[in-house]
Amino acid sequence: MSERVVYPFTAIVGQEKMKKALILNIINPRLGGVLIRGEKGTCKSTAVRALAALLPEIEVVAGCPFNCDPDDRVRLCPSCRQQLTANGKLPRARRRVPVVDLPVSATEDRVVGCLDFEYALRYGKPRFEPGILARANRGILYIDEVNLLDDHLVDVLLDAAATGVNIVEREGISYAHPAEFSLVGTMNPEEGELRPQLLDRFGLCVQVEGVEDPRQRVEIMRRREAFDADPLGFISRWAKAESELARQIAVARSLLTRVIIPERLMRLAVDLAMEALVAGHRAEVVLVAAARTLAAFAGRGEVAADDVLEAAELVLIHRARQAPPPPQQLEEDQEEPPKEGEEVEEKAQTREEETQHVPPEHKEPQEVEGKEGSSGKEELNERSSFPGAPQETVFAVGRPFAVRRIALRRDRILRKGSGRRSRTKTASRCGRYVRSTMHRQNNDLAFDATLRAAAPYQVHREKNGLAVAIEPSDIREKVREKRIGNFLLFVVDASGSMGAQQRMVETKGAILSLLLDAYQKRDKIGMIAFRGHSAEVLLPPTNSVEMGHRLLKELPTGGRTPLSAGLLKAYEVAKTHLRKDPHISPLIILVSDGRANVSMGEDKPLAEALRVAELIRDEERIKSIVVDVEKEGFFAFGLARRLAFALGADYYKIDDLKAEALVQAVREIIP
Amino acid sequence: MRYVYPFSAIVGQEEMKKGLLLNAINPRLSGILIRGEKGTAKSTAVRALAALLPEIEVVADCPFSCDPEDVTTMCVRCRQRREAGEELPRQRRKMRVVELPVSATEDRVVGTLDIERAIKKGEKHFEPGILAQANRGILYVDEVNLLDDHVVDVLLDSAAMGVNTVEREGVSFTHPASFILVGTMNPEEGELRPQLLDRFGLCVNIAGVTDPELRVEIIKRRAAFEENPQEFIRKWEKEEEKLRQQIVTAKELLPRVEISEEILYLIAKIAIEMGVDGHRADLVMMKAAKTMAALAGRTQVTEEDVKESANLALLHRMRRKPFQEMEMDHEKLQVIMGGAHAHRRN
Repeated sequence: MSERVVYPFTAIVGQEKMKKALILNIINPRLGGVLIRGEKGTCKSTAVRALAALLPEIEVVAGCPFNCDPDDRVRLCPSCRQQLTANGKLPRARRRVPVVDLPVSATEDRVVGCLDFEYALRYGKPRFEPGILARANRGILYIDEVNLLDDHLVDVLLDAAATGVNIVEREGISYAHPAEFSLVGTMNPEEGELRPQLLDRFGLCVQVEGVEDPRQRVEIMRRREAFDADPLGFISRWAKAESELARQIAVARSLLTRVIIPERLMRLAVDLAMEALVAGHRAEVVLVAAARTLAAFAGRGEVAADDVLEAAELVLIHRARQAPPPPQQLEEDQEEPPKEGEEVEEKAQTREEETQHVPPEHKEPQEVEGKEGSSGKEELNERSSFPGAPQETVFAVGRPFAVRRIALRRDRILRKGSGRRSRTKTASRCGRYVRSTMHRQNNDLAFDATLRAAAPYQVHREKNGLAVAIEPSDIREKVREKRIGNFLLFVVDASGSMGAQQRMVETKGAILSLLLDAYQKRDKIGMIAFRGHSAEVLLPPTNSVEMGHRLLKELPTGGRTPLSAGLLKAYEVAKTHLRKDPHISPLIILVSDGRANVSMGEDKPLAEALRVAELIRDEERIKSIVVDVEKEGFFAFGLARRLAFALGADYYKIDDLKAEALVQAVREIIP
Repeated sequence: MRYVYPFSAIVGQEEMKKGLLLNAINPRLSGILIRGEKGTAKSTAVRALAALLPEIEVVADCPFSCDPEDVTTMCVRCRQRREAGEELPRQRRKMRVVELPVSATEDRVVGTLDIERAIKKGEKHFEPGILAQANRGILYVDEVNLLDDHVVDVLLDSAAMGVNTVEREGVSFTHPASFILVGTMNPEEGELRPQLLDRFGLCVNIAGVTDPELRVEIIKRRAAFEENPQEFIRKWEKEEEKLRQQIVTAKELLPRVEISEEILYLIAKIAIEMGVDGHRADLVMMKAAKTMAALAGRTQVTEEDVKESANLALLHRMRRKPFQEMEMDHEKLQVIMGGAHAHRRN
């Protein structure tokens, strides 16, 4: 590999923790890699690329595509093993530890390896062509923007990372080779999070931020400018520092096996891991290894307590979990048993008035933006001077939280469009090429698969002057898969009952969280609110999640609950959208306590709402979720649950929507 | 050939024009994003810029337009040829503007296997895509916010590295892909992801011209152009030539532009106090200010240069809450700069 001109590692200003983590990983490849999380423009990628220059040399079997270790007889690849039994020894060579890039656009066949069709065409024999995992064996696999990596590639990586072996069973080849690599990835959390299993594979994790010290910032500018003006000169000026660091690393590597860790510090490591509520045992194993590596880097033969503490910062940051929340206290002021829906509503309204008129008694639990709150109250006072006017308040938006994964089930329908929520087979040609098929439908020819299909027979076929004779039976098509966004239609209850006990603040927080999630998944959204006597489409289907948020902030609360009107409106909007784009299933998200008290016709409000709900359930393409905002307590009605049943919807409490870091892996599927 | 409306004949939109010129002078500014409503001469300006771009020296038969002088950025083949002692054939040509259509597939963008060759000759050969064409040129994405997510990811990847790494369909290939990313978008149709946003060195918000007189002038010129484009272009040729010359001069001047310690501190101060993410803003501000000075024919960066470049470099980097509008806080900038001033006097 010819070396590219890269900015020297030692010339990076600040970011000591990131540099340390990367160095530790070179000293001890068994640490399992580094994940660098941070805002954009903090030289994440620069640092990783610069690392290549510092890597030590390793002993490999000459000519082996997997960089097999000639001294490690257990983990040899098939061809090296053959060579060993035939000759009794292996040819040796020295090379730098490889850094292999995995671009986000890589196809699976290149990652795991595939049939070498060039060879097959020439010699009429199938042969395995090693892929990225082969090249990365005993080296570093570097993934820039690792959170953008497609899920099916992540699966392959996890598989190989877990076993240290890459097993290929495809296209008529069956092959297994060693694939032990340490993962180095960079990501910007704004773009979405990593899957917890993948997260856990990274031994260390650092969070980087921009440097705040003006002097350092100026230094960064100066060095960058000097590098851009004369890269080779700049590199040669830093050559001494680079070789000094390389030497230090080499010394640490040889020292590492001799570093001992006292029993009590091992206990400390375990305690730290338990305190952070990590899942599994990988954390303490890595923690001890990292502490030993730190000691080796400092040139010490024994681990000190500080090493363990320093290592803990790197090892536990991405594995720590939140403590389970304390059980919720019962709301004291819910002592009277209300009997029917309508009465509840009235009761709620009176209570709302109380809260409004005697504000000091109720401390607002969330951060309430003062401006809005006060303007809401002014409006309220103004309106209350008119007798009979509906009371309304604008509640602030509660604190958003991470949302657990909500996705539609995969099916066989081909779709166009893009996004990041649900996986689907795609008809457009820009999806991932997941496999080839003999089934012809799209004219998206998988030439490689076709050639591979034809290749083994070429020796026996009539060539007609061509190098390859392809018969119709050889032709393969690409099956592509991609994630697409969904259409999320929020149906928000803005009636007076939602105002009780600041419930709307929490509700808005929950909706905001869903909106943020929608932004990361590139969903289309729409919003309907219902209160008083009617429902209104606040936001017609759009990609602008921003608009949704603005409306949410301004959304006033107050009045009665025309639940059936809201549902009917949602049904209409969803149907219209389906007509425009029949393949995107709209997802209705009803946020309400279910206490309907206004009907459109003669029926009882609740009965009517349930009827509309069934109407929605009968349209199979529309899926729905009910988010119940009723507070738990003795006198909860559970009306929202009944509604969810009628809708055929999944039922959530607000707390159910919160993602708990590692448990999130369970993909939630909406029926 | 299609007639292109001359750059110098565009009325108003000074900030956008300046941003584009700066990029033509200094490719290291890494592009510009033009945000604005429809019908504000966004695309016209970008297309017109092509006519003003300076010439570059390339390896004549290299699909990636490698620079024959610069070993550090060469593609593998050019480097091998050079190392083998071959004299690389040279050619001078205009910097290219390569358009990336919104409907482009990933294959077309990153490049793919040359099927014909594979079938006829039984050998794997990489057929370069749009990123290869765009190396050392301008990659222009109209409606960049409508680009498919996968293509955006690929763009991010190679914009970050200046290298396009292809690992698809039996091909494994790496080639240089450092380009100036120029995008236009209408924010009404959705925002851009922050990560991609940050890759654009500069950003301008443009709106329609409100001065009635200027509006009339726009109509007049446009009508004249449509009636007889050849004549119109000829009439503006002198202005165009002047601008072209200005770019060439500025390009020559740029390496000699100096930036004082004080100014560097001012830049760092602005970046910190305006609360931007990361360090790219500092670097871009510094480069933009230097280029700004070169454009004005000076070799010293002034505070005014910094102020102007702060406007261009910070707009899209301001740390905003998830759904906030993208706005530049001019007052705050003024205060910061004023504060720096006062500080120095003391």
